[in-house]
Amino acid sequence: MTVPDTETSPPAVCRLNGVSKAFGPTKALQDVSIEVREGEFLALIGENGAGKSTAMSILFGLLEPDEGGVEIMGRPRKMRSARDAIAAGLGMVHQHFMLYPDLTVLENIIVGQEDTGRSGRIALGEHRAAAQRILQEFDFSIDLDRKVADLPVDARQQVEIVKLLYRGASVVILDEPTAVLTPQESIALYKMLARLQAQGTSIVLITHKLDEVMDNADRILVLRRGRLVAERDAQATDKTELAELMVGSNIEIIAKRDATRPDVALSIRDLTVRRRQGKAALAEVSFDVRKGEIFGIAGVSGNGQKELVNALVGLEDAEGAVQLAGRDVLGLDVAARRALGLGYMAEDRMAMGLAQPATIAENLISGREGTTDFSSRGFLDKRRIRDFSRDLIARFDIRTPSERHRAAKLSGGNQQKVVVARELSARPAVLVIENPCWGVDVGAITFIHKQILELAEMGCAIVLVSSDLEELFALSDRVGVLCDGELTAIFERGELDAIAVGAAMSGQRKDTAA
Amino acid sequence: MNASLRVLLVPLALVAAGLLALLAFDATRAAVAAFLDGAFGGRNNFNLYSTLGRFSILLGLAMSVLVSFRAGLLNIGAEGQLVLGGLTAALVGVYLPAPPLVVALAALLAAMAVGAGWAVLAGLIERGANVPLLIGSLLLNYPASYIASYAVSHPFRDVNSGATQSFRIMGEASLPRFTGTILDYGILLIGGTALLVILLERTSVFGYRVRMQGYSYPFARASGYPTHKLYYRTLMISGAIAGMTGFVAVFGMNQRYIDGMLTAPLYAWTGIAAVLMAAIIPWATPLTAFFFAALATGAIGMERSVGIPREVGQIIQAVIVLYLSGVAGKMLSNLGGKGR
Amino acid sequence: MFFDAALIESIPRLFTPVLLAAIGSALCDRANVFNIALEGMMLIGAFAAVVGTFYTGNALAGLGLAIVSGALSGLVFAYFGVTRGGDHIIVSIGFNVLAIGLTAFLLGRIFGVSGQFDDPAIVQLPRIHLGPVADIPLIGPFVSGQSILVWLAIFLVVAVTWLLKNHKYGLRLRAAGQNAAAMRTVGVSPERVKTAAVIACGVLCAMGGAQLSISNVTLFTEGMSAGRGWIALVIMMMCSARLPWILPTAILFGLVDAFGFRMQGLGLPQQLTESMPYVLAIVVLMLVFRKRTARYAR
Repeated sequence: MTVPDTETSPPAVCRLNGVSKAFGPTKALQDVSIEVREGEFLALIGENGAGKSTAMSILFGLLEPDEGGVEIMGRPRKMRSARDAIAAGLGMVHQHFMLYPDLTVLENIIVGQEDTGRSGRIALGEHRAAAQRILQEFDFSIDLDRKVADLPVDARQQVEIVKLLYRGASVVILDEPTAVLTPQESIALYKMLARLQAQGTSIVLITHKLDEVMDNADRILVLRRGRLVAERDAQATDKTELAELMVGSNIEIIAKRDATRPDVALSIRDLTVRRRQGKAALAEVSFDVRKGEIFGIAGVSGNGQKELVNALVGLEDAEGAVQLAGRDVLGLDVAARRALGLGYMAEDRMAMGLAQPATIAENLISGREGTTDFSSRGFLDKRRIRDFSRDLIARFDIRTPSERHRAAKLSGGNQQKVVVARELSARPAVLVIENPCWGVDVGAITFIHKQILELAEMGCAIVLVSSDLEELFALSDRVGVLCDGELTAIFERGELDAIAVGAAMSGQRKDTAA
Repeated sequence: MNASLRVLLVPLALVAAGLLALLAFDATRAAVAAFLDGAFGGRNNFNLYSTLGRFSILLGLAMSVLVSFRAGLLNIGAEGQLVLGGLTAALVGVYLPAPPLVVALAALLAAMAVGAGWAVLAGLIERGANVPLLIGSLLLNYPASYIASYAVSHPFRDVNSGATQSFRIMGEASLPRFTGTILDYGILLIGGTALLVILLERTSVFGYRVRMQGYSYPFARASGYPTHKLYYRTLMISGAIAGMTGFVAVFGMNQRYIDGMLTAPLYAWTGIAAVLMAAIIPWATPLTAFFFAALATGAIGMERSVGIPREVGQIIQAVIVLYLSGVAGKMLSNLGGKGR
Repeated sequence: MFFDAALIESIPRLFTPVLLAAIGSALCDRANVFNIALEGMMLIGAFAAVVGTFYTGNALAGLGLAIVSGALSGLVFAYFGVTRGGDHIIVSIGFNVLAIGLTAFLLGRIFGVSGQFDDPAIVQLPRIHLGPVADIPLIGPFVSGQSILVWLAIFLVVAVTWLLKNHKYGLRLRAAGQNAAAMRTVGVSPERVKTAAVIACGVLCAMGGAQLSISNVTLFTEGMSAGRGWIALVIMMMCSARLPWILPTAILFGLVDAFGFRMQGLGLPQQLTESMPYVLAIVVLMLVFRKRTARYAR
């Protein structure tokens, strides 16, 4: 990979020119110009809500800019829909896969590009041959006749890439492509992208993972709050600088102290969750979590994390044993487990963590509405609920005009603070946390991480399920890895290493992987 | 709350503006006058009382629907629950040999029990066999109507009359009327129930849980509410209110069960329309129920005086629902979280 | 004899309205439009067919007007449910009430009657007689002397199946139902695909309505769709929108209807026989969905 010399840099294939875009009062982009040069690997970085995806959606014709426009090969071009962008040689792999699960791989590839005979019948044979050529060229081994729903995640991503190549894309935009991949799969992806680049394709990578940027990009653009704040050559910068550019200030590094105490707070033995078909989605998982310990759970999503959490919280039937404060709780319902000191922060804020249309106060008391804290004789005590809510809003720095505001109107970070405030204020003995920082801005992430660490220091046992290895490594005392519903390895804090954990995520037992 | 208010006001304003615009033309002035007279006028305010009579039935059904919708349960079987409640009340009223007060009370309780049972049946079908409540409750409307129709055309038919209807209920057991009007005390029973629903939804732990569960079922589960119990209790209350409304229709207005008396006027669908127009807000529901009651009786007045078919009322109601499908849909899709 | 020619002859005309609507419903389902306004669409079609036939004296013109009315019904649904993005259940509830009100209103305005309209000028749709085939016992009455819509409905099952599998628009219909956002990223408007599906559904339902009003009988009665739209929906749901399953299931329901009429002839009250399809629908849905995770649940 060569770094382009700025003086003889290759021509721009496409360019955003002074683009601004607002959603209501929020200015998502302000006067941003980005050019993509031929054959380069460009990284576009920034935290959540910085405007990366908005910028690329405008380039790709999915959003119309308020001001400014798109240029292709130096000429202004109006992008009315993705069709125009595709015709101009652009292709995009979206963060959420844009696939049709019940259609075959081949059908997925050709939707929108169908060649038909006079009868309107799709010329599947020709499509198949063309797709096969691309598969061979890039050594993809995907069965064109399989349903996409039956493919593993990395294969689905390959289908997305084949879709672009099938349309002859010369600029490939990827939005957070490794969020769903194991470290090993990520490496394979970047190898493939390098091959594409070598053939003259321009790559645009949208991400916040700075390691991947440093390893692969030629040129880096930093977006912050809708503005382009910096341009760097990959050779001439480092992770610390990039991180500071992204956040706009020095990042506070949170210090992890080992607060583990000797007594076991949560003990799990042979925990098994069976699916209807008889296959175990969670198979004989056993581990202990001590007071003050944070036990991380790593794994590619869909490998039993959901089942583990559901079985612990009481949302799903399970076999085996779960002991909470020395009591077996598997037969108990959610309310009874909560009464014994179990807390739960769900990853799905939209439906599970919060009742979006309800007020903040209503959300803050949920789970304890029937206790004497907030009600008597079946009727709610409005004043106590109000005082309690105002206190939490102040203590957890929830930015809202009042406790009667609807949760749906808060930003992602503030919504998550409501969840954190509710669960922490219940003073749990054991807390189950799932991806606490999904869709949360960096400032709030630091705040939430600090709260979690403080809680552990106060003696709470925490099970932290996260798909973000960086987060797991920063917070956990130990990390267990789930693959195919089995606990394939447990790493001590000192042993944590992305490659080793990644190997365990793809099913290698710890002893053979190390 | 502001957005919800807007939902309520826009159609009201549209109808008002439409009426005003029509007043500008001689040809339509008569129609508007007939509409207003049909809804609120008449000799001795006869039409106003008939609007209020219709309002009490619509309010009952709207409250029944509201309780379900608030809990995120798409129970659209209020019609069946109403019909069977009405039939049960009529049978008790005709055949129970007891003092009048006992007959009335027994009829009320029996009607509520049957309405609740029919709603719970739809719930059992959903919980037991995964048949969506929407479909199950709707399909159950048909057997309910057929059962009622059969009952009053064969075994319990008033053989002395030519119509398919039951015998008259015991006269002294019927709901008393306000002196000098055709309006019966049923409006008090249903109004009181509505008030109770509105208050309890706001102030009780049960109401809080129902509301939160309606906003999001997964949230309710994760919070540890007794979701199973809430589900059946809500359905029972919803069905019981519909059954009670059937009792009021039979012991008030008609004094007997007449085939089709509760289905032909589309009471149940109008109740749903009222709840949607009120954006599933309890206190706003009586207002929209009254609006639709006035719309229907006004349209009848128009038919009488100027010969415009009364179905105009249904058409206006349908158009309002269609226009509200976006906003009201957002309220509804918050309920239970769109799982499809 | 219980199982005689008259009974067999009645089965196709009883299943055809439901089958046509179920095909339309399947198209909507594939496009992820939860259209439960089939009932209203059928009612409007039945009315339009009577109007068209009455004024032209030609049943095919009546069918033509029904088709136009069906397309308009679909357009109205699509405007509120797709273009304006309204909740499909609410749009359906509104549409069904609209259909009841509008047909009753027009019945009064156009024909000056209420409840029912019946006139010698309303003629029946052409029937296809198969000559000697008609004499074959059991099969003869089943296939001969049936309305053109019976054959059209069966042909459509095959045609739509082929279309969904092999045709460009069939593929797009399936794709739009699976992931509308993904279609936008390849520059195809999912709204247009969905609108087309709803319009097609409207046309199919209206043809089903025409079979009711100008083939099975030659009159219009208020509310004459009488829940068949719901039965069609249930059939579609039972079969997970798979057309090859929808045909036999619709025939089964036709058979139940035919039995019902026969039992009425034997003295069973009409109300009991008429509720049989609904009870059957609930029972079969329970059996089919028992093992299924609630796909249509909210």
